Amino acid sequence: MESILPNLLNAITFGFILFLIASGLSVIYGFMGILNLAHGVFYILGAYFGLALNNYGVPFVLASLGAGIIVGIIAMIVERVFLSRLHKQLDEQVLITIGFVYIFTTLARLIWGSEAKLVAAPAIVSGFVNIGDIRYPLYRLVIIAAGLAIAVGLWLLTEKTRAGSIIRAGMDNKEMTMALGMNYGMVASIIFFMGAFVGGAAGFIGLPIIAVHPAIVFDILLLSLIVIVVGGVGRIEGVLLGSMVIGLIDSLGKAYFPDWSYFTIYLAMIIILLVKPRGLLPRSQ
Amino acid sequence: MRFVKTIINTAKLYMAKQQNRPAYFVAGLVLVLLPLFVAPYLRDIITKILIYAIFATSLNLLCGYTGLFSLGHAAYFGVAGYTTGVLMAHYGVESFWIVAPAGVLMAALMAAAFGFVALRGVGTYFLLITLAFGQLIYSVALKWRTVTGGTNGLVNVGYPDLGLPWFTMNALSFYYFVSVILVISFFLLYRLVKSPFGVALQAIRENETRMQSLGYNTWLYKYIIFIVAGLFAGVAGTLFSYHSTILVPSQVGILASTLVMLMVIIGGKRVFWGPTIGAIVIIFVEHYSSLYVPTHWPLILGCFFVVTVMFLRGGISIYLIKLLKRVVSLCIR
Repeated sequence: MESILPNLLNAITFGFILFLIASGLSVIYGFMGILNLAHGVFYILGAYFGLALNNYGVPFVLASLGAGIIVGIIAMIVERVFLSRLHKQLDEQVLITIGFVYIFTTLARLIWGSEAKLVAAPAIVSGFVNIGDIRYPLYRLVIIAAGLAIAVGLWLLTEKTRAGSIIRAGMDNKEMTMALGMNYGMVASIIFFMGAFVGGAAGFIGLPIIAVHPAIVFDILLLSLIVIVVGGVGRIEGVLLGSMVIGLIDSLGKAYFPDWSYFTIYLAMIIILLVKPRGLLPRSQ
Repeated sequence: MRFVKTIINTAKLYMAKQQNRPAYFVAGLVLVLLPLFVAPYLRDIITKILIYAIFATSLNLLCGYTGLFSLGHAAYFGVAGYTTGVLMAHYGVESFWIVAPAGVLMAALMAAAFGFVALRGVGTYFLLITLAFGQLIYSVALKWRTVTGGTNGLVNVGYPDLGLPWFTMNALSFYYFVSVILVISFFLLYRLVKSPFGVALQAIRENETRMQSLGYNTWLYKYIIFIVAGLFAGVAGTLFSYHSTILVPSQVGILASTLVMLMVIIGGKRVFWGPTIGAIVIIFVEHYSSLYVPTHWPLILGCFFVVTVMFLRGGISIYLIKLLKRVVSLCIR
């Protein structure tokens, strides 16, 4: 039984990495109804910008924030210029984000090349800690902390602030919300910025563990899609639960059924969908 | 009164049919005579266009007629293609009459299984689940190396053997073979979308709740059309596997699914012939851009998506139809 603890720890850290990846997508999908397929692109752009900043000597934490902000600004421009003109036309919004996947992925490949890139974890958190009788990398615990911080921040933003309630009102009835004097367009841009910011920052925070190259765009997108399908959209708790479930299934699957590990998460998704078509924690209608 | 109205409507329908007849005749003539005038390499590209026209039209059953945006449609194309390829390359089964039905049947079965799960989701949820299933098939093609060859691809797929002693298959006769299958498929699909079943699908797209209240089992309608779309994607996949002689996972992944989706929306998803126009445009652009600027092809593809969604919402075939009508009216005058 001594081998279960590291597997469990790995499952939890992988779950939090998944949460970092998927939460930005879920915020944009849940509150704006936009299935932003360019989310994987935000992730790799965040990783590349963070890497560039880090190479100029910007400290790790600031680099991840800066990467998030740059990606957020790019996303906001995309939202203002294109997506805001397609309000509630869900299929068109999805199709246009596919276009941006190809545009930005190609640009990233032309600028940064197609080889995989990693970054070393900052020196303070690059060591190991002893949990029980196993040595565990400290940086993975940092990921858990970062994930928890983002979860709390996003939950506060969407559930407890005025911006959150305006955006939910705007999703139900845009005209009425604007008639009441709310600047729906600006709030929508802020939510989109936040989603992209979290995605971009996650790209750099995850970089010591997940190497970045242009081809992982669709892997990242797929993992986050599966997480939000399983967890249910529109609630941060749902994403957190979804990423924990998928993290657990994937890590335990890799440990005990290595031949089938690639398909265990699909299998989990199919079973959960058959039992609960709207995910484990759907937003109440 | 009602009787007179019926007669007038029937007459109008007949007139409409008459109007289209010259167009079909010209299209058929072009299809038959084209290989005589173009270089062999261009003829092979046209064969590819015909195959993708079947593929894109099958997707249009879902996103144009039923309003279901499937982002994993290449899965059924790929399943049929790999079934055909594996039977021919690994098991040495040459006969078209065994291989092709097996491929198409596999595609339809896969669509029946995936559609059952995917149709539980509504709206963008459906899109998301079909995308995940498409990637599932892609990862099977990538990882199951002993059967699919992984990234090296599945090679040694030849032309189909029809078992007719007087008929030898080469690139030219394969072109005509694909043309015949295209005509049969389009005839069947056209009859399908003009039938009461097809009209019911369009009504489901416009207002599903109302159709439910009228007593239609809308889930069953969507499920059936999902399987039919998968089946015809399988027809295209089988032909593609004969045509390209090598199958690689990227031909069944999300790139292929989005490419065929682009064909549908750029051609026009409310017009039966729209996806065919889209296939012509996209395959030619893909061919020439991969000839001159191979690394920039995805960039061009992405720009096509953005421009189509922002400015060409109805697709180019609507403009083509307007142009054609103007030309016809000028000629008649």
